[in-house]
Amino acid sequence: MKKILIISCFLFFFPNFTFANELNIFTSRHYDSDIQLYEKFTSITGIKINIISGEDAALEKRMIEEGKDTKADLYITADAGRLGLFDKKGMFQNSISPIIKAKVPENFRSDNWTGIAKRARIIFYAKDRVSSDEIKNLRYEDLSKPNWKNRITIRQSNSIYNQSLVASLISNNGIAKTEEWVNGFVKNFARDPQDNDRGQILAVASGEADLAIANTYYYALMLSGQKGKDQQEAAKKVTPFFPNQNDRGAHMNISGAGVLKTSKNHENAIKLLEFLLTKESQEHIVNNTFEYPIVENIEPNKLIKNTSLGNNFIQDLKTPVKEYSIFQEEALKLMLKAGWK
Amino acid sequence: MIKKINIWYLSSLIISVVVAIPILVIFSSFFENTSEYRIILRETFLVDYIFNSLILLIGVMSLTSVIGIVCSYLISFYDFIGVNFFKWALILSFAIPAYIYSYSLSAFFENYGTAYSILKGIFGEANYNLYIPKPDGILGAIIALSFSIFGYVYVLTGLSFRYQSQNLIDLGKNLGFSKKKTFFKIILPAARPSIVAGLSLVAMETLSDFGSVSFFGVSTLTTGIYNAWITFDDLTLANRLSFYLLIFIFGLLILENISRKKAQYHSPTKDSFEIKNKIKLFGYKSAFAFIFCFFIFFISFMFPLLQMGYWTYLFPKYLFELNLINLISNTLILVFFSCCLLITFGILSNYGNRITKSKFLQSLTTFSISGYAIPGVILAIAYISFISFLDENLLQSKNYNIKSLFIGTIFGLIIVYFIRFYSLANNGIKSGYLKINYSIDESAYLLGYSKIKTFNKIHLPYLKNSIFLVIILLLIEIVKELPITLIMRPFNFDTFATIAYAYASQDLLEAAAAPAIILILISSVFILITSRFILKDQT
Repeated sequence: MKKILIISCFLFFFPNFTFANELNIFTSRHYDSDIQLYEKFTSITGIKINIISGEDAALEKRMIEEGKDTKADLYITADAGRLGLFDKKGMFQNSISPIIKAKVPENFRSDNWTGIAKRARIIFYAKDRVSSDEIKNLRYEDLSKPNWKNRITIRQSNSIYNQSLVASLISNNGIAKTEEWVNGFVKNFARDPQDNDRGQILAVASGEADLAIANTYYYALMLSGQKGKDQQEAAKKVTPFFPNQNDRGAHMNISGAGVLKTSKNHENAIKLLEFLLTKESQEHIVNNTFEYPIVENIEPNKLIKNTSLGNNFIQDLKTPVKEYSIFQEEALKLMLKAGWK
Repeated sequence: MIKKINIWYLSSLIISVVVAIPILVIFSSFFENTSEYRIILRETFLVDYIFNSLILLIGVMSLTSVIGIVCSYLISFYDFIGVNFFKWALILSFAIPAYIYSYSLSAFFENYGTAYSILKGIFGEANYNLYIPKPDGILGAIIALSFSIFGYVYVLTGLSFRYQSQNLIDLGKNLGFSKKKTFFKIILPAARPSIVAGLSLVAMETLSDFGSVSFFGVSTLTTGIYNAWITFDDLTLANRLSFYLLIFIFGLLILENISRKKAQYHSPTKDSFEIKNKIKLFGYKSAFAFIFCFFIFFISFMFPLLQMGYWTYLFPKYLFELNLINLISNTLILVFFSCCLLITFGILSNYGNRITKSKFLQSLTTFSISGYAIPGVILAIAYISFISFLDENLLQSKNYNIKSLFIGTIFGLIIVYFIRFYSLANNGIKSGYLKINYSIDESAYLLGYSKIKTFNKIHLPYLKNSIFLVIILLLIEIVKELPITLIMRPFNFDTFATIAYAYASQDLLEAAAAPAIILILISSVFILITSRFILKDQT
């Protein structure tokens, strides 16, 4: 009896053993809908999924410090630059199976990690304050021009989405031109950078600014009514606009995942990645998180389809998202130097 | 010297070293190599970080001291409508974690937020957004922190006011001082040590705050260390920022120590008495006192509670989705084992200090308070780095794998809680011990009591109340704790705080409200149970 007690106590305090058919996920995505997908995966394959969710940088640090002993098999997070940097530290292994290769466009994966959903970082503007001439054929590059002075709102420079956006500009236009752009762009801010992306859209709705840059799913979340009626109404006062439609397309980013180099269940991890790319899973993701599907020929969320956010815009497929990690550091440097808070 | 090295000495030493791990790690080179990182910007960063930390510290300390002192002055010396209610109701602010306060603040005042909805409901459709103030950035952080931690100043100052010898007040009267003059010349100076003690707790909470400052996007020393170390692997910057943070902390420790020493001077006896004849307020004076206390109570407790309640009412499905049994049992497990560990070692260390009377040990214990002033997330990562370092450099050849025992287990989580909350347990028990006169020990020895017997028969009964109080305080802290739990927890392990965080980080504060409200209610119940106790006993 005593022995049983001791063993059960031990198992309780140190439940850190790996069992044969399981998969350990570290994730900075906290969607309930992701968990529903994992449960479905378990019911199909019998592979038990264990999750630790948390803040991305801290999770990464924990995996790095745990080194070869980390129990993590799969790391899921948002932003391609972040995945790229983690990969650069030698944390991922090649996990791109033929199925993943076939389903995910080359632009949205590297050799060691792959996108599982997409998001676009686009413009939201107030129709009554931005003329049709101004918005016509607008490019990110135009937002540094003096006619936008005191009219633009965007979140802080420590936002990884902003760093990736500026990194994509560096990748396309070079450092010198981007530096010039950032300097002009910061001068056009209507207010000190603050709030998250939804806060930017709301600032346009309330009249604090004329134009905001934000990720698409924040807007969809407001339209869905999950943020209450007033914010739903506010969203309708703002018009989404996809920039750079006559050249490379709107800036795209991903939610993605990679299999840890030290993973003891890497086959299970790849199975899950492939499962996340099935039609049903992709539909489940887009219907719940309002992201865009990473796999082609999947309908986006109805809510998105019925608005001008729909699928038929030109996406930037020329700038591989893996380049974001190369230029993010340089991007942040330019942003801070320009006084972007 | 050798005589002194006994079991007590050793155990105190070990505790102090364990608790000091994070500071040692932050200062040593367990860090990875620094990448080629923005030397140009380093200097401007540094100035910003220090400046923001200072502004935050000064702002929070000023606001909490005004709120705390005025409230406890009104409640201790005057009799007005609702005074008996406010006496304990104002402590309820302890149940609100600063991060939940921040969520509420931002959600209420944002464009098309709750304030807008209320105005629209009353006055009809219009664009009120431009007239609604936006407590953002450093202002938001100061407000969120001040209203969630002013309780320290309120409780400690109140105790001092209530226990102040009636003589002091009579003295003022006899000298012909006005009420104002009595307050500023006699009462306030006499309460100074308690105020300083309260403020130093406020200051440490402020320095260690990560949730609200990062929510409001303020770059302070703590967010700076986090970014430099965890995001950019910039060893040099992280070390430099840690150095400045340490200077802050040591400044506060010295302040706190001085105040503690004075406190002993001021209240040598425990048999002080409540002020017998409170001054009764009438008319507008009574109304003013009521309005002030109600305002503070409303802003600090009702406001976040109502905001969370409003959302839970609008979106009740999130409440029903919570796995209450699982969450409560997880919380209880953490509380139970942390309390056992902390109380045991707290007593051990205090008892050790008492019998060895070693100055060195005492200063080591003081040093351990630092766990309270270092942000939880940095503390946890420092602990993980330390365990990895041990594992890889010292134990590698021996084929042990301590990582899987100490990281990502409930055991590991509790150890980091231990580091974080040790000063709370230690000081709580210390305050109990201060009330037991040394001469009692000596009498016991003369009667032939052994050390153990002295402890069991004499110390323990005296300490019972302090221990109870410490358990409640730990419970409230652990129920609210977020950053350490988030990073140290095992797979598939959630608490109310982590669930609230998960929803908040999806930008669904509406869903975070349900776990938040339960967290607040649990803490409130325990505060209510002990409020009489907190108000009367702890010095």
